Amino acid sequence: MTALCRSLILALCFLPGIAQALTVVDQTGHAVTLPAAPRRIVSLVPGVTEILFAIGAQDALVGVTDFCDYPPDARRKARVGDMLAPNLETLVSLRPDLVVATRSGNREETFDQLKRLGLPVYLVDEPPSIADVLRLVGGLGQLTGRRDAAAAVAAGLERRITAVRERVAGRPHPRVLYVLWPEPLIVPGRGSLVSELIASAGGESVTADQGQGYPRMSLEAAVGRAPEVIILARHGAGTGPAAREQWQRLESLPAIRSGRLYAADGDLLHRYGPRVVDGLELLARLIHPEAFTHPEAVTHPEAVK
Amino acid sequence: MTGAARLAWICGGLFVILSVVALGSLLVGAAPVAPGTVFDLITGRGPGQGTERTVVLAIRLPRIAAAVLAGAALAVAGAGFQGLTRNPLAEPSILGVSSGAAFGVVLGQVSGLGQGIVEALGLTALGFAGALVAGVAVYLIASTAGGLPVHTLLLAGVIVGIFFSAAITVLISIVDTNRLGGVIHWLLGSVAPIPPGSLGVFALATAAGLWLVLGQARALNLLALGDEGALELGVDALRVKRRVFAGAALLTGTVVAFVGPIGFVGLIVPQALRMLLGPDTRVLVPAAVLAGGAFLLAADTLARTVVAPAELSVGVLTSFCGAPVFIWLLRSRAGRAAP
Repeated sequence: MTALCRSLILALCFLPGIAQALTVVDQTGHAVTLPAAPRRIVSLVPGVTEILFAIGAQDALVGVTDFCDYPPDARRKARVGDMLAPNLETLVSLRPDLVVATRSGNREETFDQLKRLGLPVYLVDEPPSIADVLRLVGGLGQLTGRRDAAAAVAAGLERRITAVRERVAGRPHPRVLYVLWPEPLIVPGRGSLVSELIASAGGESVTADQGQGYPRMSLEAAVGRAPEVIILARHGAGTGPAAREQWQRLESLPAIRSGRLYAADGDLLHRYGPRVVDGLELLARLIHPEAFTHPEAVTHPEAVK
Repeated sequence: MTGAARLAWICGGLFVILSVVALGSLLVGAAPVAPGTVFDLITGRGPGQGTERTVVLAIRLPRIAAAVLAGAALAVAGAGFQGLTRNPLAEPSILGVSSGAAFGVVLGQVSGLGQGIVEALGLTALGFAGALVAGVAVYLIASTAGGLPVHTLLLAGVIVGIFFSAAITVLISIVDTNRLGGVIHWLLGSVAPIPPGSLGVFALATAAGLWLVLGQARALNLLALGDEGALELGVDALRVKRRVFAGAALLTGTVVAFVGPIGFVGLIVPQALRMLLGPDTRVLVPAAVLAGGAFLLAADTLARTVVAPAELSVGVLTSFCGAPVFIWLLRSRAGRAAP
């Protein structure tokens, strides 16, 4: 069936009149055919916004969400509202020839509405692995005609990932609890990017065997896994400090006894963009401070005092 | 002036108001579209394609239709429940009927029902079933030998509402994190452009509910005399109550399925109309169709323009308007009941 679809797409590309058409397969396996490389893209995904800037395709980006705050220049793009309910009128008035959206953050209703309005939608899923993030960089490079730039970005990220893995290779794997959200407690589970980042940083996520993606978990169950390192995701608006007090009280936990309760900028770890490698490096420094040549690097600004 | 002529004048006036609000709603929004272009587009003279056409005809117009349908349905459901219980405080959200409907719809959503026509039918059916269960529960809890005392009815509504809210919380606890945001967004109550097929389902279900309640408008007047009094005049009180109840539950369930649990419209609109036009349900119910549509459309227009490009949930706005009205009504009834 998939082969048949691909053959049809290839055949269409050779038809007169749409010879310039560009057909790409999005991250969910759907073919997206455009009359030409998109010149007016609206990104509903902060990570995608970061990738587009990283590969130099920012001039084609005409609209972003309120959450697209990195790099700083992204704030200067037109805003279409939040990820959950972008303003359709504003979005349409930007005359996009492509909208990039995600199934993990946007709503199905939004995709349906965009399709009804005749706007091509390139869907990305939460990448379950670092390799998928690199593939997304390549895919967006292909989409925007910035293949070489995307390949260079991906190669640079690959080198940094390899360097981290080499640093932590052969070291013991401390039990790590990553708190994505404190109330209700949401943790990285099976097949999630954060679980892989923790593993690549030389840790053993105590929640990696939980439900698919980012499941909720009881505090009791998390405590029962006796984490040796606890990392609290910071989302701004003081969510880090509020949760920290709750964890500090659990003095019997190995992580608290050894003073290994940290906070990390969640944007580095949850957004599937180039900064995910910054997140990997940060995790590695928090989990294996001894692996890095400068011990003072441990007293990372991200660490909770 | 005869009753029919008076009704025609009232409905004509309200229709003009609804048309003005709809026109205003078509003219404003996050995307600037010149009034001349809007008029050209709605009269079929506008450009055959382009951004402005999409904004006006594919985004604003279906949203206006959804808001009018929802407002009309909620106002008539409120008038129906008030006539049924002979209590001006009865309203879908206060009686817990909206919460029952919301439970049914969330059950459908966490099971993966989306926006297709068949799915819209499924969500409407689940909303209707939830509303029926909640309504019957409130009736059974609150009914006494003396009828439906106001405080007992309100307490029963609160209890049933709390029960279904707790049940919704259970569903939210087990829903996939990626779907959670969508469910919570819907629970706040918000109007959005609905696809044509689903809008058709919305319109048909609303029409069926309106027909059930409107058909009993005269009988509801006679119910004010009490069940025996109505029976002496040839009205089968039980049959009337069943029909009105089914109609009001269907209207509530339908609205909840398509735009979420929007509160207080069924309280504000019938109360305002009762003060302006008197208690005659033959006038009140048809007037509620038009006034409810105009009220919710005005609220939704405000919700989508006041903080553009972001949007407020229309349910929040109606609750802000409705809560003071409810308190005032409760106080005025308490004042009358005092020795």
